[in-house]
Amino acid sequence: MRILSYTFETSIEFSSPVHDHDFVLRCMPRTRPGTQTVLDAHVMIAPNGPLGKQVDGFGNILRVGRARAPHTTFAFASSGMVVVNGEVGTGDAQQEAWVHPVFLQPSKLAAADEALAALATSIRYSVESDIGLDDDAESRAWNVALALSQAIHAQMKYETGVTNVNTTAAEAFALGAGVCQDFSQVLVAACRSVGIPARYVNGLMVGEGATHAWVEVHDGRVWRGLDPTNDRVVDDGYITFCHGRDFLDIPIERGVFKGNAAQEQSVIIRVTDQASRKI
Amino acid sequence: MPVYDSLVTHTSAINAQLARYGVKFGLYKNGEFRERLFPFDAVPRVIEADAWDRLEKGLAQRVRALNAYLADVYGAKQIIADGIVPADFAFASSGYLPQCEGITPPGGIYSHISGIDLVEGQDGEWYVLEDNLRIPSGASYPLVARDLCRRCDAETFRGHIMRDNRDYGERLKAVMDNVNCGGINVVLTPGRYNSAYFEHSYLAEKADAVLAEPGELFVEDEILYYRDAMKRHKVGAVYRRLSDEYLDPLCFLPESLIGVPNIMAAYRAGNVAIVNAPGNGAADDKGIYYFVPKMVEYYLGEKPILKNAPTYLPVFDEDREYVLDNMERLVVKDVAEAGGYGVVFGSSMDAEQLEHFRQAVRTEPRRFIAQEVIDFKCLPTLVDGQLQPRKADLRAFVLAGETTTVWPSGLTRYAIDADSSIVNSSQGGGFKDTWVLSR
Repeated sequence: MRILSYTFETSIEFSSPVHDHDFVLRCMPRTRPGTQTVLDAHVMIAPNGPLGKQVDGFGNILRVGRARAPHTTFAFASSGMVVVNGEVGTGDAQQEAWVHPVFLQPSKLAAADEALAALATSIRYSVESDIGLDDDAESRAWNVALALSQAIHAQMKYETGVTNVNTTAAEAFALGAGVCQDFSQVLVAACRSVGIPARYVNGLMVGEGATHAWVEVHDGRVWRGLDPTNDRVVDDGYITFCHGRDFLDIPIERGVFKGNAAQEQSVIIRVTDQASRKI
Repeated sequence: MPVYDSLVTHTSAINAQLARYGVKFGLYKNGEFRERLFPFDAVPRVIEADAWDRLEKGLAQRVRALNAYLADVYGAKQIIADGIVPADFAFASSGYLPQCEGITPPGGIYSHISGIDLVEGQDGEWYVLEDNLRIPSGASYPLVARDLCRRCDAETFRGHIMRDNRDYGERLKAVMDNVNCGGINVVLTPGRYNSAYFEHSYLAEKADAVLAEPGELFVEDEILYYRDAMKRHKVGAVYRRLSDEYLDPLCFLPESLIGVPNIMAAYRAGNVAIVNAPGNGAADDKGIYYFVPKMVEYYLGEKPILKNAPTYLPVFDEDREYVLDNMERLVVKDVAEAGGYGVVFGSSMDAEQLEHFRQAVRTEPRRFIAQEVIDFKCLPTLVDGQLQPRKADLRAFVLAGETTTVWPSGLTRYAIDADSSIVNSSQGGGFKDTWVLSR
């Protein structure tokens, strides 16, 4: 268990003034019984204005607003403190018992094609013949997901600039390269294709200078995190913001505005372990 | 002598007026969008008073059950937990939008204006073919037609033999007022180039609501506003004639250019009623249709008054066997398609096509439903100066306000060809007025 404090600042510079800028931000953690307790969280925006707080259909926190007057910078800063449980599978089994069937169906960006489904099937087969069918279902699903995560990590190269936010899991897998969004969507699609419920997750990670994406799979009892980009199991170094079917459900920032401008985004993220912080 | 004898002599005059008003229908054919006039046949569908009473009760019952289902599927999901509707069907339909989970619409009403499509079988029984709970169109056609008929031939209408249907606008207004969260009522149209623009402007006028295009609406501080030349007005209810996916680019399709950004935020916050509620497609999917009579029993504890056409879901083993064995006499529908598309009659397929469809049903059973072909009644229709039988259906409009009522009229559509049973206007049919007799 760790206490993490975080600051996450995003600034969007417009090449010329824009106005009537409506936005939705998904940049806050919420308390998830058993795995994450939010002690403190707030968001500031510039230009300053009313900032509504809502919950979306998946239970994620939304901040909504509108910057009406012309502006050339739009910025938001999210900060707070979170207690994260490092042990895997500590989610609240009662609350998480029911899995929404959408996490078993292919979604727009996380649908397996034949190649990805074939990989998933062969890995499931080899894992299941390895561990034997007398193993309980929970560890079977988890072991298959784990092996899939390792295989995807091994087959895909981390490379920026070769994919974009609309690249599908099948495209990224065929390309054999991508960023955390792609790795995660490939794993989500692969898990679903062999009947393991999976969802796409975003948030922050100790030591990572950008927002990060990973995966949660349901082992029949609770949701458990897997990070295929870094080939590791999600532990107490991760602060979870949102989950959805794929990236399209949970972009950190989405906005529409009037005005014809190019935009450039810069992000500063600091995640600090409160216990190890030097005083 | 039928009461409409004098009326039919005015057919061409009425059609000329309809054309002048721009009463048109848009349709896709061979990948091309075309607009065409919607031919009016002056021979009305006549429904006896007591037949209507039964129909009205059945329709209101059905819509009450559908509203209960929508509240459940986006809320507690009890009907799924109880095994009445399989999760596969409830959530695999493309009309189910997880974005709408947990939102309770003002007044708890999801489907304010429902268009229920029915046919009258040769056995005299009414069968529901389809529920339309998203943005069912077509109420303006019989309204305008009735108005023109009255003007052309006042004599026929003098005796009040049929119930007046001209209160649709007031009914629509009452439905909006009932859920209005404070502010004005607005009819949201995609714009004047939309094929149903005439209907949007007509209904706005009749319901005493403001007709707005997306650019005239905006959301600030979780409140929806309409902006006119002078100032902004808070909107309490919006009857949107824009489909879910285009409604809000910040919630649904990000590439939508015609939506109102953050209208869903105003809705989530409970500051505006959206008529009909987003996500209603979860209940009018062709696959969900099968379960509607079960919903009536489950939610209302009543016996369903209206029948479904006998329907088979290939997803169930027993049904699939039946469908594969009897395909040549069934009608097969692709659940993903709307408006008469993806509807194939087994009787019209050759051996090769039948085999192709059998294969498709085997590989993707969830994609299809199959139904017995209902031999439904023809209505006399004036074709080349002669009364000829044409297959006709009825779209009844059910309005859920303080109570759930049925507009004593409806849109009767007839097939253009003598041998066709597809009456959907997208497929090129015409329409008739629907008379509900006073007694």
